[in-house]
Amino acid sequence: MRHRRRNILIAGAAAAAAFTVVTYYINGWPQPLGPPIYVITSALVLLAYLGVGLAAWQRYPAERIGLLFTMAGYAWFLPSLTQLHYPLPFTAGYLTGSLYQAVLAHLALAWPYGRLRTRLDRVVVAVNYSFNLGNNAVQMLFWNPRTNGCGTACPANLLLADSSSRLYSATGTVFSVIGVCITVAVAALIAWHWRSARGYARQAMTSLIWVAVPIAAYIAILGVPGNLGLSGLALYGIGPLILIAAPVAYAIAMFRARTARRAVGAALVDLEPGPPPARLRDALARALGDPTLQLAFRIPEQGGYQDTSAQAVDPAQLPAGRMLTSLDAAGNAVLVYHELMQHEPELVKVTVTAASLALEHARLQAEVEAQLEQVRASRARIVEAGDAERRRLERDLHDGAQQRLVTLSLALGMARTQATGVNPELAALLEAAAGEAQAAITELRELARGIHPAVLTETGLAGAVQALAERSPVATTITAVPEGRYPAQIEATAYFVVSEALANIAKHAAASSTRITVRELTGRLVVEVSDNGTGGARPDGGSGLRGLADRVAAAGGVLRIDSPPGSGTRLEADIPCR
Amino acid sequence: MCAASREYDTGAVAVSSAILVVDDHDGFRAFARAMLEMAGFTVAEAASGTEATQAAAIIRPRLVLLDIQLPDFDGFEVARRLAAQEDQPVIVLTSTREASDYGGRIAASPAAGFLPKDQLSGAALSAFLTQSPR
Repeated sequence: MRHRRRNILIAGAAAAAAFTVVTYYINGWPQPLGPPIYVITSALVLLAYLGVGLAAWQRYPAERIGLLFTMAGYAWFLPSLTQLHYPLPFTAGYLTGSLYQAVLAHLALAWPYGRLRTRLDRVVVAVNYSFNLGNNAVQMLFWNPRTNGCGTACPANLLLADSSSRLYSATGTVFSVIGVCITVAVAALIAWHWRSARGYARQAMTSLIWVAVPIAAYIAILGVPGNLGLSGLALYGIGPLILIAAPVAYAIAMFRARTARRAVGAALVDLEPGPPPARLRDALARALGDPTLQLAFRIPEQGGYQDTSAQAVDPAQLPAGRMLTSLDAAGNAVLVYHELMQHEPELVKVTVTAASLALEHARLQAEVEAQLEQVRASRARIVEAGDAERRRLERDLHDGAQQRLVTLSLALGMARTQATGVNPELAALLEAAAGEAQAAITELRELARGIHPAVLTETGLAGAVQALAERSPVATTITAVPEGRYPAQIEATAYFVVSEALANIAKHAAASSTRITVRELTGRLVVEVSDNGTGGARPDGGSGLRGLADRVAAAGGVLRIDSPPGSGTRLEADIPCR
Repeated sequence: MCAASREYDTGAVAVSSAILVVDDHDGFRAFARAMLEMAGFTVAEAASGTEATQAAAIIRPRLVLLDIQLPDFDGFEVARRLAAQEDQPVIVLTSTREASDYGGRIAASPAAGFLPKDQLSGAALSAFLTQSPR
C-alpha cells in the first residue's frame, strides 16, 4: 500500500517535471523563449514539495502534512498548463494560477503536523481557497489576453465575457484589497500560533517563521501592481526558489526529530550512572529541545506529584496541551510533555524508556549503596564485638585462672620452705610442683597476650607498639607514635598491623632492621612498618596479610603492601579515625 | 578524712614497720600475709583502693604491696594518692601480668618498682626496703 502510493507520487512528480520541460521546448510557447532558468526553477520547486511531501507521508502516515506538501507541489505546477497552446488548458492554467498560494497558507496554518488548530484557522483557510479561485475566475471574465497580455499569439480566454479593461482594473483593485486583508489574517494567525507555542512546539514554529516571512514577501510582491519594478527574470526565474525554503525547513525538522532519538540516548550516556532526577530531566529536555519537559514523582505523604523543580503536578488536571506518561508500572514517576510530542510516538517511547532505565538504575544504585553501608557497619560491629570479647577473655583469664595459679604457686613455695630441712623428699616434690605452676603461669600469660594485649588496653597504642618493638627479634626503631588514646577498634587495628608485620618480618623477611611509624593525619591514622629484608611479600599469599587487609578494611581503612623482591617490604595501613 | 588521719597520727608511728597488702583477691591476700608474717613482717590488708588510702593514713606502713587491678580505681591512682600523703610509704606495684604489659606507666608512677605476683617473697620486699631508705 505504502509502496504503491510512493510509486504513484514519484510517477506524478516525474510526469509533471517532464511536462513542464516538454511543453516549454517542444510546444514552442510562449514566444519568445525565455532562458532555461525559468523551467529549472519551476521544476526544482515542484520536486522539492513533492519529495518532502512523500517523505513526510511515509514518516507520519497518520498526519496530513505530507498531503499538504504534495498538494502545494501540484498546485505550483497548475499554471504551467498555460504553456499548452490551446484555449482550454490556457484558461484552466490561468484560473488556478494562484491556487498554490492558498495551499501554502493552509500549510503554514497547519504547521507542523497538518492539523488546523481552531475554527478560526479553518474559516481563514476556506475563505482563502475560495478567494484565490474566485478572484481569478472574476478577473478572467473581464480579461482579454489578446488586447491586455500576450497579443495575437495568445490562445483564447474561454471565460471572457466583457473585454472592457475598465471593469478588469476595477475588480482587480477590489480583489487586491481583499487579498491584503486575508494575507494579514494569515500572518496574524501564524504569529499567534508561534506566540502560544511552548517548548517542543515552539521550536517547530520558529522554523516556520523563518520560512514564512520571505515566502509571504515574495507572494506579496507578485500581488502588488507593477511588482515593485522587478524584472521577469527576478520574479519568475529566481524568486520561486524562495518557496523551496518551506520543504527544506520541514526536512530539517524531520531530521532533527530523528536525531533527537539518538540525542536522548547520548544524553543518558553523558550522565554519570544513576543521575539525580533534576539532571536527568535537564538532559532529556535538552535532547528533545523541550524546556517545558517535566519529570515528576509521587510524594506519598501528600498523595500528589511534584516535579524536579518542586512544582506540584496533578495528573488528573494537566494544563491544556500537556500529556503524561508513567515511567514505571506503579506510576511513582511520570513524564509530562507537550502534546505535540505525541506526533513522534517513537521519540516518546525512546524518551520514556531512557528515563525509566535511568531512574531504575539510580534506585538500584541507591539500594546497593544502602546495603553496602549496612554490610560495612555490620562488619565493623562484628570485628568490634570480637575485640571486646577477646578483651573480656583476657581479663577473665587474668582475674581467674591466672590469679589462682599465682596463689597456688605462692602456696607451693611456702610449703617447700617449710618442708626444707624437715622432709627433703617432700621439699623436692614441692619444688617440682612449684616449677610446674610457674611454667603454667608463663604459658597462660602468653596465651592471654595472644588473645588480647593487656598493654594496649592499659597504655594505649604508644605503649603497646613500644612493647611489640622490645619483644621483636629484629632490631626495631620507632620513628613516631602518637601518645594519645584512640577508639578501641582503631587502636586494636593499628596494633594488629604492627604485630602482624613484625611477626612476618621475623618469620620471612630475613631483615636486619625494621622501622615503625604511626602518624595521625587529618582524620586518619597511618601505620607504616618497613624492613630491609628480601621483599616479595604478596598480599594474597599468606593468610596473615590477607586477614590483616580484611581487618583494616573492616575499620574502613586500606592496607597497602609495597614489597619488590630484593628491596625490603613496606606495609602501610590507612585507618580513618572518626 | 584529713581530720581522721590526724587523730590516729600518734598510734600510727608505733606500727610503722608494717606492710600493707592491697588486693581484692582474698586467697592471694591470705597467702601473702602468711608468707610475709613467716618472713617476720607485720602485715595489714586492704581489698580496694579506698580502703588502701584510708588504712595507709592510719597505719603508716613502711611498704605497700599494691595490686594494679583493683575494683574501684587502679593501682596507679592509689599510688598517686599514697604518694601525696605525708610520710610516703615504699610502694611496690604487683600484678599477675608482666611489667611490660604496663609499658611506661610503672616508671612514671611514684612506685619504687614492680614485682610480679608469682615472684613474691619476704626477701624480694626486703630488697625494696633496703633500696629505699626512710
